[in-house]
Amino acid sequence: MKYIQRVNELIVGRTSATENLVLFGQNIAAGSCLSGLTRNLKVGKGGLIINTQNSENTLAGLGFGMMLDGVSSVFFMKQLDFLLLGIDQLTHTYNFIRRNRPNASYTIVCIVSDLGYHGLQSSFNNFGDLCSIARIQGFTITNAVDAEAIINTHLVAPGFRIIGVSQRLFGKELPEVKEVYSNTEKTLFQYTEGDGATIACFNLSFPYGLELHSKLKERKIESSLFSVNSVTPINWDKLIVNAKKTKKLVVLDDSKSENLSYDNFLADVADECDLKSIIVVKRKFDDARWLYPNADELPVDYGAIVSKISS
Amino acid sequence: MERNQDIKIAREIIRLRLSQLLINEKYKANAFKIPIHIAIGHEAIAVAIDVIMGKKDLLVCTHRNMHYNLARTKFIKPILDEYFLKKDGLARAELGSMNLANEKKNIVYTSSILGNNLPVAAGLALGQKVKHNNAIVIVQTGDGAMEEGTFYESLLCMKSNSLAGLVIVENNEWSMHTRISERRTAINLSKFAESLGVGYKKLRGNDVYRYINELKTIRKHILKNKIPFVFEVDIVTLGGWYVEVEGNIKGRFIHPHAGPLSKTNIEEWPEIEHSSTDPVFVLNKHFQKDTLKAAAKKILKDIKAEIGGN
Repeated sequence: MKYIQRVNELIVGRTSATENLVLFGQNIAAGSCLSGLTRNLKVGKGGLIINTQNSENTLAGLGFGMMLDGVSSVFFMKQLDFLLLGIDQLTHTYNFIRRNRPNASYTIVCIVSDLGYHGLQSSFNNFGDLCSIARIQGFTITNAVDAEAIINTHLVAPGFRIIGVSQRLFGKELPEVKEVYSNTEKTLFQYTEGDGATIACFNLSFPYGLELHSKLKERKIESSLFSVNSVTPINWDKLIVNAKKTKKLVVLDDSKSENLSYDNFLADVADECDLKSIIVVKRKFDDARWLYPNADELPVDYGAIVSKISS
Repeated sequence: MERNQDIKIAREIIRLRLSQLLINEKYKANAFKIPIHIAIGHEAIAVAIDVIMGKKDLLVCTHRNMHYNLARTKFIKPILDEYFLKKDGLARAELGSMNLANEKKNIVYTSSILGNNLPVAAGLALGQKVKHNNAIVIVQTGDGAMEEGTFYESLLCMKSNSLAGLVIVENNEWSMHTRISERRTAINLSKFAESLGVGYKKLRGNDVYRYINELKTIRKHILKNKIPFVFEVDIVTLGGWYVEVEGNIKGRFIHPHAGPLSKTNIEEWPEIEHSSTDPVFVLNKHFQKDTLKAAAKKILKDIKAEIGGN
């Protein structure tokens, strides 16, 4: 099954089982339904599905207004960068509402524009940036395991959060992964357990981490593969303990902005661990080409990493 | 003179005025740490809204919300305590002045950010629709906030989704320290509303009884037709003053945007302007001066008793 089919299936399953839920957004029930994200949307009794106007600031506030009224909603939006138009709602309005721990649910589901060749707009691919501005709970979906856990736990639940899906992964077949561990908040997932290395994936870089895990396995090195699916303060303990054990840490982050989610993690690692090797795979910005239409893949030199780990 | 009018409403206008003047006295004495936007001159629309609101109607305010909070809360002390950031303030010292709301009295959201409250009001109205409530959502805005994109977006959203929203445009001509003519071209709000198929009415003159009658009709219209309505009201924010400027006999006018009104003092009869720009002055159309003065004297005594040593 493809990534987008599974994500869509989980969304429809959750929304159709919820009464008095309002689903809204541009073209959510028209055309390609946001490239399949919102195909065949259904709501339970008393709910509404609204194909809206193109007004992101107002639409971001619309969900908060409903939340104040005790009505739950999900706002689906085509691109993460469109949400920049609604930042004022994400900070000011949310800060007003969160004081009273609302019972209603409001979730924004947005697509991170990381497919490649989208040019200027794709410079904003760091999902955590948006969450960081008001310490908003946010979750990235990278595979079948985290998709099921995050959508079933958080799509409709008291409070507000943003869920980010990767456009790059939409057409990809879901890899076979099994959960070794996930925390209660569904912000940290572990998929494999091994003594050879600790792999920590941030933002939407899980597929690169999984590939690295496979390459290491080919060299008979078992690694522990983690994905950090949120930037809101999370408990790293599980990751730190694992890194202390393997003494070899690989951090992957495909984000393009200056403040990276793993910065805080590495600060804690420096504080608590005495590691033999720390490899950080991030983007390099040697020239202006990152702004222009390009393939958008995170360059990962798997061979060099495997060599370094095996040595 | 329309002697059959309800004196309670006139008392409310006077109470709002005297309460604000008392707050201003404390503001002048540097009693507050937070910024406050006084709304002297805005009393008529606030009292009218308070009178016409149904039990389930919701009100959404802006940074200049003192008049609505005083009108809905009916007391000055919880508001004053909030301004003092006391834990027993109206919002437990969590909101201060620019975001002050009173959920128990249906002021469910107040925003310090220009135009931010309009989308939230649209969402509230959509929530009312989902819940099948026969109620309207009233949102306060102004001639400055209507320059924001959310003004257009939210009206479009309300109309597109048949939402019962009443947008109150308090047009005081000023955005901080620039007049409309100094910052933008004129907007024909009537034509703008018409272009969206949204109702529109403009009133001036600060006659609270007229405002109430008009707003009652508009509220019924909104509920019956499920379309939003723009109600523009011309207002003069009173309490401005002139500072001396060389070569200018009159001096430079300081519009009372935020901060204390340095030249405004509290009097038993709290009229600031002897014209229709002042809602207190306009009460003279409906009642004998002696009646109003006696009411004002009693109200001032009551307010002072309420706040005690505050």
